[in-house]
Amino acid sequence: MDSASYAAGLKFLRPEIALLVTAALGMMAHLFLKKKGARIAGYITLLGLFVTADIVFLTPLSPGGFFSGSLTADRFAFYFKIIFLIAAAMAIGLAFKFFEVQKYEAGEFYYLMPLALIGMTTAVSATDLITTYVAFELFAIPSYILTGIFKKENRSAEASIKYFFLGTLSSGLMLLGMALIFGLTGETGYAEIAKLLPGANAHIALIGMILFFAGLFFKAALAPFQMWAPDVYEGAPTPIVVFLSTASKAAVFAILIRLMLTIFLPFQASWIQIFQFLAVVSMFWGNLAALVQTNVKRLMAYSSIAHAGYIAIGLAAWGETASMAVLFYLVVYLFMNAAAFGLILLFRKGDGFGENIDDMRGLARKSPLAAASVLVVLLALTGIPPTAGFMGKYFIFMAAVEKGMIGLAALGALNSVVSLFYYFRIGRAMFMEEAPGRVAVEPSFPVMAVLVASAVVILALGLFPSFLMNFASAAFLK
Amino acid sequence: MSILGIPILTFIVFFPVAGVLAVLAVPGARKNAVRLTAIVVTALEFLATLGLLIGFNPAAGDMQFVERADWIKAVHAQYLLGIDGISLLLILLTSLLTFLATLSSWKAVENRLKEYYIFILLLEVGMVGVFVSLDLVLFYVFWEVMLVPMYFLIGIWGGERRLYAAIKFFLYTLFGSVMMLVAILVLYAHYHTFDVLAIMQTGTFLPAALQTGVFLAFFLGFAIKVPMFPFHTWLPDAHVEAPTAGSVILAGVLLKMGAYGFVRFSLPLFPEASRKFVPLIVVLALISIVYGALVSLMQKDMKKLIAYSSVSHMGFVMLGIFTFSPMALKGAVLQMINHGISTGALFLIVGIIYERRHTRLISEFGGLSARMPVYAAVFLIITMSSIGLPGLNGFIGEFMILMGAWTVNPVWTAVAATGIILGAAYMLWLYQRVMFGKLENPANQGLRDLTVREFATFVPLIVLAFWIGIFPKPFLDVLDKPVEKIVRIVNPDYYKDIDARAALPAAAPSSPVPADAGGPTKAPVAAGAETAKMAVSEVR
Repeated sequence: MDSASYAAGLKFLRPEIALLVTAALGMMAHLFLKKKGARIAGYITLLGLFVTADIVFLTPLSPGGFFSGSLTADRFAFYFKIIFLIAAAMAIGLAFKFFEVQKYEAGEFYYLMPLALIGMTTAVSATDLITTYVAFELFAIPSYILTGIFKKENRSAEASIKYFFLGTLSSGLMLLGMALIFGLTGETGYAEIAKLLPGANAHIALIGMILFFAGLFFKAALAPFQMWAPDVYEGAPTPIVVFLSTASKAAVFAILIRLMLTIFLPFQASWIQIFQFLAVVSMFWGNLAALVQTNVKRLMAYSSIAHAGYIAIGLAAWGETASMAVLFYLVVYLFMNAAAFGLILLFRKGDGFGENIDDMRGLARKSPLAAASVLVVLLALTGIPPTAGFMGKYFIFMAAVEKGMIGLAALGALNSVVSLFYYFRIGRAMFMEEAPGRVAVEPSFPVMAVLVASAVVILALGLFPSFLMNFASAAFLK
Repeated sequence: MSILGIPILTFIVFFPVAGVLAVLAVPGARKNAVRLTAIVVTALEFLATLGLLIGFNPAAGDMQFVERADWIKAVHAQYLLGIDGISLLLILLTSLLTFLATLSSWKAVENRLKEYYIFILLLEVGMVGVFVSLDLVLFYVFWEVMLVPMYFLIGIWGGERRLYAAIKFFLYTLFGSVMMLVAILVLYAHYHTFDVLAIMQTGTFLPAALQTGVFLAFFLGFAIKVPMFPFHTWLPDAHVEAPTAGSVILAGVLLKMGAYGFVRFSLPLFPEASRKFVPLIVVLALISIVYGALVSLMQKDMKKLIAYSSVSHMGFVMLGIFTFSPMALKGAVLQMINHGISTGALFLIVGIIYERRHTRLISEFGGLSARMPVYAAVFLIITMSSIGLPGLNGFIGEFMILMGAWTVNPVWTAVAATGIILGAAYMLWLYQRVMFGKLENPANQGLRDLTVREFATFVPLIVLAFWIGIFPKPFLDVLDKPVEKIVRIVNPDYYKDIDARAALPAAAPSSPVPADAGGPTKAPVAAGAETAKMAVSEVR
């Protein structure tokens, strides 16, 4: 590749470069400023995220692929970049409070986050097998470290190891799938593969697709590839769970969608069946298992499995409505999950946080604003209007019905009813039960900011969804 | 028409939201100020809904005060509001009962006042919204929005088993409504619009098999809400555990939504399926009537007794709706209003002695009439209204339903009539056990009669009970056109002869509307005339 086209491509990478600079500055602050270094690294990263967001808006869309077609800066990637940045900003806000209570500020957190973000933004822009894989690992590896950032806490360490092993397994499956595809076509670029694959051995191509997808299903915590999720979400530090369960999941779905629409488009009939199966299993598994949980992090882990199932309905019913619905849902899901995990940081219990439903009793009296915000979030998670959670489900079910998958939509609707039961155990504890003595409510600024902002966004999008819908539909414009 | 520059329907739907802000602004320590704010807001809302009467044209059959705007353009969901006579009456009932429920809560609720009134006001938004929405998505949004405040009203301010009752209420009704959501989407896939008026204008209906499925999904949503046997099991729990105001609104308005849903959506949108399921639904309605009444007879708890009586009364409404004759359908809508008035009042009545004695067991009382004469009088009037004594509201509604049903199948009327007899039995027996006899329980010695505030809550209800009982014409007049419109779709045969006769040049009065159930004394006569006409048409 000549230097001119290299330089031309580089301008589309401005957001990634900004993130890299942010990470470097954060790392230096942490290393060289002794006392407050970690926190300053945090502020640097937060600022860096805002700057990057600006840069994302200012960076032009690439006319096609760049760097020999291994990357593209299209509207689709743009949409997801914004999601990642919002998720990271919320996670960092929550981390400020989290580290304060833990009395140990892991500065690494603040610069591993932008590094993982680079992996995600690259992954959603990748249009080449090798780039996809490298980018995938680039965000996977920092997430393993982030999960185990409290080395001394057993739960965190265990979560990290589990996540690492299963993550490696998923990468391995993915790689195997890629190898088969490459073997059939001799190409790594999506565009070239898409041309050649239909002419190749369909059985092997199908196996390649299934292996490739299976790796992604692991990361997306779609049942039956979900077993790591509850343990990891429970053990990992809460701000990291927010990041993993939203940004990381969105990145995986973005890769999946790009693959569905490029190299695996000829196999649509097959992946429709796969997604239907995953949707049903994930929704039921997630919702039924969540019914018996008492730990909110675990409960939310199962809930996120169920939500991955709702998204899978959208993937199965892929089309004009579904594409908008899935992208819409991912944004709503981001705010719902950030708030639902973030709410744990309101409850101070001894040296840590009150993670059980029982610890959340009486919140409505102690902090009505927090309780009202959480109520909005719970309604959204259940899918009750006038929240964006309802709109998201409504669009997804609509897409399914349009494609004639009425049964799938009905099962999804039925699952909302099941989920009401466990989400509203939290609601009940907050509004209808008396507060326990040993838990203190600390409505600190960053946590409240995340909660209230999420609730406001969820309500606003529930009443006036058109803005985000247009944005989501535009992601598929050429 | 508009209020403060806001179109009137939008105003009456969202005015309670302004009320929520007002309640929030009042310092929580000043309890009476909070209460007063809520009462003023609900009173203003009631006045605003009365304002609808000024511009309402009862002679017009179309939707009135229609407001239309794009809401979610990409999926063709609109902000589409409008009312006809049916919704008008139900909106008035809603705003009146909400106002009275708020008034009745002055002493009943002491803790977490602000939240309490906020939930009541939000509930009102949902209820009024349901009755004015003509876009299915908008309707669904209001339909569900209403569940949340009711869940909290039961769960926070309810009785001992409130947590159980609250979630049961929520789960049951949500289950019904999500199935309805899927059905709404299926409708959309067929018509590419959620606009009920536009769907009705197409004059085409879903293909038979699809129509059956969609009808059943709507049926589930509405039947759970009504509730019809065997979907009624949430109702006794919710009613018994809810605070008085909650019970009043639940019985007075929420149950009507199910019946309203049948009238507004099921009948005109799925006429073939509606006809097909008449036998099933009528049988369920008859079971509801008799079963509800029998179970009421057995109750020891007054609230539970009234709760089961609601199952029985709503059975009449359902029977009236699925008779598909204008007479019975008008009777059914009127009976919805009547039930709101009399059962709302009965819950207030129970609430009053519960506030004083903290028990609702019938056996705890007896001989109260000597101690509380005004209370006894109010209770008596409402009891009579509930059992359908001529001259009071319940009679008109039940009579019209039974007349209408008779023309279709006399057996239905016969079975339903036993419900009236049983109804008289359980209500009179209740009255007798609570009011008459000797005042033996010493705890009842010190009972105070109604205060002025308490009496004031009953005045509008009693006035309405007599008004509808003696001169129902204004109420029936607004129902004429909308009911005709619905019957023409679901039961076109009914109008065949009438139209044919009207088309003859010789036919003197050319009104296509069959016999208004007119003035007070005329009502039964006119009803008879209609029956005769129907009978003639059946013979032919």
